[in-house]
Amino acid sequence: MTTAARPRILVVEDEQPLRELVVVTLSDEFDCDQVADGEAALERLREAPPRLVVLDSMLPGRSGIDVLREMRADPNLRDVPVLMLSAWQSSEDVDGAMDAGADSFLGKPFRVEELVSIAHELVESSQ
Amino acid sequence: MKQLSLVGRVTVLATAVAIGVGVMFVAALLAILSLRSAENQEKKSAATTVATLRVENLSVDVGSAVRGYALSRDQRFKDLYNSARIRVPSALDDLDKAVAGDAVQSRRAAEARDQMDSYIADYAGPVIQISKYFPEAARGQAANRESRRRATDIRTTLNKITALESKRSASRSAHVHEVTRGAIIVGAGALALSAALVLLFGAWVARGVARPVRETTKAASQVAAGDFGVRLDEHAAGEVAALVSGFNSMARSLDSGRREVLAQNQQLRESEQHKRDLISMVSHELRTPLASVLGFTTLLLERDFAPDEQRRYLEIVDTQARRLAALAGDFLDVQLLEGGAMRLERAPVDLIELTNEQTRLFFSHLDTHHLVLELPDEAVVIDGDRDRLAQVIGNLLSNAIKYSPAGGTVRVHVELEGDRAVLMVNDQGMGIAEDDRERVFEKFFRSSEASARISGTGLGLAVAREIVETHGGEIRVQSEPGSGSTFWIELPLKRTAATAAR
Repeated sequence: MTTAARPRILVVEDEQPLRELVVVTLSDEFDCDQVADGEAALERLREAPPRLVVLDSMLPGRSGIDVLREMRADPNLRDVPVLMLSAWQSSEDVDGAMDAGADSFLGKPFRVEELVSIAHELVESSQ
Repeated sequence: MKQLSLVGRVTVLATAVAIGVGVMFVAALLAILSLRSAENQEKKSAATTVATLRVENLSVDVGSAVRGYALSRDQRFKDLYNSARIRVPSALDDLDKAVAGDAVQSRRAAEARDQMDSYIADYAGPVIQISKYFPEAARGQAANRESRRRATDIRTTLNKITALESKRSASRSAHVHEVTRGAIIVGAGALALSAALVLLFGAWVARGVARPVRETTKAASQVAAGDFGVRLDEHAAGEVAALVSGFNSMARSLDSGRREVLAQNQQLRESEQHKRDLISMVSHELRTPLASVLGFTTLLLERDFAPDEQRRYLEIVDTQARRLAALAGDFLDVQLLEGGAMRLERAPVDLIELTNEQTRLFFSHLDTHHLVLELPDEAVVIDGDRDRLAQVIGNLLSNAIKYSPAGGTVRVHVELEGDRAVLMVNDQGMGIAEDDRERVFEKFFRSSEASARISGTGLGLAVAREIVETHGGEIRVQSEPGSGSTFWIELPLKRTAATAAR
């Protein structure tokens, strides 16, 4: 498997250690791109849509929910699967994310195996 | 206007009815007295008439006997004359008695007596005497005009007396009729008035009692149904007004009691909500570093990494674990704030050295923000708790970085101002809305702007203020929403020979 053939993932997370954790966890099988805020995420998404976005719900500037809504309104990004990460995980938070168009929701702290298996599932379903 | 009490109303009615009955009674009494006096006068009048008629009869008897005797010299006429003449004085006395106290009639009676006496003395007596010896002369005497005139005069006088009595009787009868009619009218009027008063009183009581009682009953069922806002018009008669005002004050007190309970409920709900928010915030704040610690630990245990990678990840675990420890420290500080007594371990602290240390800690590995550090040449020494002051500066720096976008400049400025040290931290961040500026120092307060995008406990500034104020200093903020905030702390300098000389 060559580097170019690996599915590309965009990780959006403002907390640097956590961003690094997601990237390290997923880089065995995916080609990980990373940004720290919503504006940068939208910019990167419009340059080239990835196979999956791992999106933190709370970001400085535009929140993860804002980014998700913009994606769902954009024809090029409408079908890109989104895994929402959040430290807030009440039923309203989960429902809010799912209503905004998230494909899956993972609360912090999460098990790394679960992150890997959800990422696989979403990437495969988007093929 | 205060309305008349029920007792007052009953008193007024009783008085009015008593006056009505009294008027009726007085009218009847006056009528009775008037009738009795009329009856007495009538009796006297009748007696006068009887006495007058007797005198008249006697005068006629005397006249007839004299004429008869003169014509016939029959002894029976002489006997008749004698018997009549003998009765004349007593008859005249009776007439006097009957008209006693009546000037007009008395005068007439006296006139009749004179006429009678002179009739007998000048005419009747002499005619009887001469009849025996000169029958012819006596006959002429008896038939002459003079004798008839005298007899007519006596009758005229007596007729005047009876005519007056009869006239008086008629007028008395008319008066009695009038008085009786008046008494009937007054009595009937008083009766009708009393009846009307009783009816009016009924209406008055109904108005003053029945309506307020009905309204109170209605209001009481409204209160029973939970409507405590109902109030009654207190404009009512005395006792009823007391009932209505008692009802109103009961409703008021129920209302205020209910409001109090509702307010307490609301407070309890708010405090419950506050507790839930707090637990949610604490768990959220712990989750992010915990996710890094648990995630890297799992990766390190399950995957193989190059030694330098291993070291880097362990460093992250270490940093994040410390962050958890710091959070735990913040929560402990909150308990300290709530306890009210923060203990300082004071010693001379060089504020410039401390500022250098803290900025190095925050900025040496940071490539997102730019630091501008402005420090004075002279030493700035404070008598304070070094760890606590480091915590304050750390909180301000961490906020400046956290709440401003990447690429921004954080300016840290220290200067001396009289006997106080001033430390200022300025950022180019989101700023703080005017309404929130004082509240940022309240524990657990987070502006809606901040809490939507940036994680935090809402404790840092509250703890900082407590520390600064315990040091005898002050903390302030100035901010322009959208373009940045500036936090100042002012702390009293340690009194040294140098500062004392200043």
